[in-house]
Amino acid sequence: MTETRIPRGTHARLGAVEGDLIVGANARIDVDARLVVTGRARFEGNAEVAGPLECRSLECDEGTVRVGGDLVVHEDIRATDSALEVGGELRARRVDVDRGLAIAGAATAQEFEVGGVLDGAGSLTAQRVSVGGRFHLAGPLTASAVEVGGSVDVALVTIESLEVGGLIRLKGGTVRGAIEVGGRFVSDEDLTFGSLEVGGVADLRGAATGGSVEVGGMFNVQGPFKFRTLEVGGIGTIHSPAEGADVEVGGKLETDGALRLTGRLEAGGSVSVRDELVGDRLEVGGKLAAHHAVFASTAEVGGSVATETGLKAARLRLGRRTRASGPLVGGSVELDDRARAEDIYGDHVELGARAEARRIFARTVRVSERAVADEVTYVDSVQVDRGAEVRSPPRKVAELPPFPL
Amino acid sequence: MASGANGGGVSRRREVTDIYATVLEVVKRYHGAARITRVSYGAGMPVDRLRTVVDLLLGLGLLKSDELDGRPVYDVTSRGQEFLDTYWKMRAYVEVLRPPSPGERGGRRR
Repeated sequence: MTETRIPRGTHARLGAVEGDLIVGANARIDVDARLVVTGRARFEGNAEVAGPLECRSLECDEGTVRVGGDLVVHEDIRATDSALEVGGELRARRVDVDRGLAIAGAATAQEFEVGGVLDGAGSLTAQRVSVGGRFHLAGPLTASAVEVGGSVDVALVTIESLEVGGLIRLKGGTVRGAIEVGGRFVSDEDLTFGSLEVGGVADLRGAATGGSVEVGGMFNVQGPFKFRTLEVGGIGTIHSPAEGADVEVGGKLETDGALRLTGRLEAGGSVSVRDELVGDRLEVGGKLAAHHAVFASTAEVGGSVATETGLKAARLRLGRRTRASGPLVGGSVELDDRARAEDIYGDHVELGARAEARRIFARTVRVSERAVADEVTYVDSVQVDRGAEVRSPPRKVAELPPFPL
Repeated sequence: MASGANGGGVSRRREVTDIYATVLEVVKRYHGAARITRVSYGAGMPVDRLRTVVDLLLGLGLLKSDELDGRPVYDVTSRGQEFLDTYWKMRAYVEVLRPPSPGERGGRRR
């Protein structure tokens, strides 16, 4: 195959090259309308092609190569210890650039692999995108797999999987599979995802719909939120209504809207729900606050409960010294030692030692040693242990009043 | 420069742990085939300075090295991954616990 050489430091004008083109360092090539190279184009250092370039393959070594227009490479681009700047669109089979790749127009390839920085002003479409350092894209991103070591700042995405070491900020879109982020994840608009795993902070500023969510530090979602499971190591804040199966929070969970679950809610610290809280099982180590809370099977609270219209569960248990404000409603309701509650409704209600309640409405009631109730209304039986006190005489009725919730 | 270790909301000087995390995250992307030059571009560090960091991370067992096509390549160990998990989680807590600056008061909680 023939070879055309442009010596280093020279200036040439070309239109079509049969065979390979070898360009020395610091050369500049002016282009008639479009430079078409039937073979490979090789750049041995800094170089500039002042117009569109089409070639079979492109190689760069230890320099920055600027292409002033579109770049079409039928096979691969390999830039060793080099950067590549494209003034128009880029099309290639595989792009492998060590230092940096900047593209002014749309970019399409099967694979982009960039060691340093990938900066695109248009759209990018690929099977796989791998960037060691920083990835910025102003247009839409469509890809199967995206992996970035450092940071990502992209617009709308339609991708299968996304893995980022440090920080990612995206406008929104769809990630059908997993999103894995080491540090911080921010989406500015609506986002749909398969799963989301973030080591540090996840901040979803639009609506979000996805499967499992696991966040090591802080989780914040602004818009309506649908999920399968949510696990937050530190603090979770949900500013709109949320629906899902299970929630586990190490520290604190706050929601401005309703939280409707089909499974369990576990929180090591506190849970605060401004509206309705619904689920199957509840376990809160610290405080629970909600407008009202209804759990199909069990609810256990270790610190305090505060509801406006009540907490209901088939089996409800308040731990030792727990304080409850608002009605408690259950199949069975148990207050451990020294727990204190207001009105309690249930099939069976049991006050542990030194526990206190205001009014109890139940089929069967037990008031343990040194426990105190102001009033007891029962259907079947009441047991008042030695040293316990019911301030008004217990009242037996044929039917209990309607329970709240 | 990779801002992996500067993923918080506020710019701050990169500390040594931030640099370690950045290097580990970049190495991790290459799935056992990370060359020193590639890592240097990704981490935004000159190769000579990066070699010092890599040697230290190898010594701490956070990185391991192998050979590919006659050249050394690096990968993150499970201990290195543990470091990253802890690092990012701690960064999140630091962000939660730090007092808001005057400009942020009243606007931090969205």
